Amino acid sequence: MSAFILKGMQTALVIFVCITLIRLMLGPTSSDRLVALNVLSAVSLAFLILWGIQTGRTLYLDVALVYDIFGFLGFLAITRFLKNREEGR
Amino acid sequence: MIIREILALIAFVIGTAFGIAGMVGLFRFKDPYSRLHAGSLCGTTAVFSYLLALLMLSPSLASTARLVILIVFFLISAPTGSSIVARFIWESGDAEQHRSSMAKKDKSL
Repeated sequence: MSAFILKGMQTALVIFVCITLIRLMLGPTSSDRLVALNVLSAVSLAFLILWGIQTGRTLYLDVALVYDIFGFLGFLAITRFLKNREEGR
Repeated sequence: MIIREILALIAFVIGTAFGIAGMVGLFRFKDPYSRLHAGSLCGTTAVFSYLLALLMLSPSLASTARLVILIVFFLISAPTGSSIVARFIWESGDAEQHRSSMAKKDKSL
């Protein structure tokens, strides 16, 4: 039962990542791509935690916490970069 | 043990339903604000439900404590990230071509 739930969760997260990647690739503007990237970072965080629980190693959970913090800082950097590029044009 | 698995199954079903709704909304909506609404709201709820299901299934006390910290930090960081994205959409003006009321010059809203 527990293995079944973990397997189903893994399959659903992989499907979510595929759908979000399609949106990321064919988004017409940079705003749509940024929205898809926002969803993608949350889904990949969930996948990392799922892998940590499934293998029973707490190392992956520490990695997930650091990934969450730096993904958050990465968003600030990406928006600042895109805004500067649009102003410089 | 069986109660934890039943609760995990309920959280898994709720998270999958919200995730599918968010993914449909990411493709059906037309302008970036609506896509941000669908993606961030349903994505956050789906991931939060999955984290609750994993909290029920966690094997040891060490992973449970780390998972509680991760849930609290996720509830802080995910809306803040959506807010950053929304401010970027507002300042870049990508949504102005879809509706005229989303233009920055229009003061009617």
